[in-house]
Amino acid sequence: MVDLTQLHDAILRGDAKKAVAVTREALAENASPTELVSKHMIPAMDEVGRRFECQEYFVPELLLSARAMKGALELIRPLLVEQGVASAGRVIIGTVKGDLHDIGKNLVASMLEGAGFEVIDLGTDVAPGKIVTEILERKPNIVALSALLTTTMPFMKSTIEELRKAGVREQVKVMVGGAPVTQQYAEQIGADGYSDNANGAVAIARKLVSG
Amino acid sequence: MQLKLISCEIFYRELCAAVSRSPNTVDIEFLPKGLHDIGCTSMLARLQEVVDRVEEGKYEAVLLGYGLCNNGIVGLTARATPIVIPRAHDCITLFLGSRQKYFDYFNSHPGVFFKTTGWIERGDSRGELRQLSIQRRIGLDSSFEELVEKYGEDNARYLWDEMCDLGRNYRQLTFIEMGVEPDDRFERQTREEAASRGWDFERVKGDPSMIQRFVDGCWDEREFLIVRPGARVAPTYEDDIITLDQL
Repeated sequence: MVDLTQLHDAILRGDAKKAVAVTREALAENASPTELVSKHMIPAMDEVGRRFECQEYFVPELLLSARAMKGALELIRPLLVEQGVASAGRVIIGTVKGDLHDIGKNLVASMLEGAGFEVIDLGTDVAPGKIVTEILERKPNIVALSALLTTTMPFMKSTIEELRKAGVREQVKVMVGGAPVTQQYAEQIGADGYSDNANGAVAIARKLVSG
Repeated sequence: MQLKLISCEIFYRELCAAVSRSPNTVDIEFLPKGLHDIGCTSMLARLQEVVDRVEEGKYEAVLLGYGLCNNGIVGLTARATPIVIPRAHDCITLFLGSRQKYFDYFNSHPGVFFKTTGWIERGDSRGELRQLSIQRRIGLDSSFEELVEKYGEDNARYLWDEMCDLGRNYRQLTFIEMGVEPDDRFERQTREEAASRGWDFERVKGDPSMIQRFVDGCWDEREFLIVRPGARVAPTYEDDIITLDQL
């Protein structure tokens, strides 16, 4: 039997090859996909998040661990779908209109995937109308908006207004983030959640889907 | 009027030229551009320190040569002397002459990185500020070699693509000609950098009139915020950009 602490450690160390190899081996030995995720992988990512909070880990380590997690999840996801296991929630994420920055947005997307969310990444420069269309088609639980510039932050407000006009605002929770965004601004524009870092964004998303 | 100008060095040539033509007597203090990289709390602390050192009663106003600059001026408090601040997200408004011109250019040219003499001469963070920069602290300014050494070849390549590759977010360099250039060296350098990155290049004519109004004391409240003694700067994230937060 493959030692599953190796899966935990590979994610913690950001070793994508090892994480994938151990997962493949475990699945070949009929390990339970849900147990792999809930008992080994998500706890590993939670530990990554803890180390980030304590400043033992920084952005590169987060990215590498999320990448290792993602690699392993790609093998497991089809099995979870087959077994009808629900994800932690569905998130639509994007950088707002006019803004092409995506480092933070990608990091949050990876961390959310690592936490078991299904993430639909709309990329950068996403017009409010596009988000409305995606909400109607994909029925997400959460819309996550990113902006790096104070020049483009107002598009967070106009996106929320657009959701309201289209009558879909109440169908989703909206969370916002990005370097110049603040808790105060999030409240001012009527967003449901804000975090100033990628790890915090996971905690907010969990809170928002749990109602 | 006797004025004290505290400004980001990004405006060095433009402000020196404007001050030389101004009816006012202006004492200038330039601060390093690298203050922008150390996070808004630290940037504010450094700016406040400089503002607080201004001799009481000597000047009619302190001119602050900054935009909202990623919230770096949020919370700045005027002591005995009023502070005048351009209503601008960042320096590009002042280079182009109005926030409407910046807004129009920004919206019609996604992915543009601007260059001026200041951005070329003084754009790179140096010394202590570079070490304190957020880019450094989170590893965004690492060289590829540094990443390989720390994380191995495969991870380094991934991190490089994810964090350090500017080409994903930008596709054009725009040189703003302000009329303070000695010759075409700055434009040429920008053109060469664009070519080497495989980006588009454009030269646009800047408009120094807002900078001139700033130092001349023509402070229309639609264009400049006057922070009277005891008041504090707050962002609006609306068209007027900044406002007063009463203490």
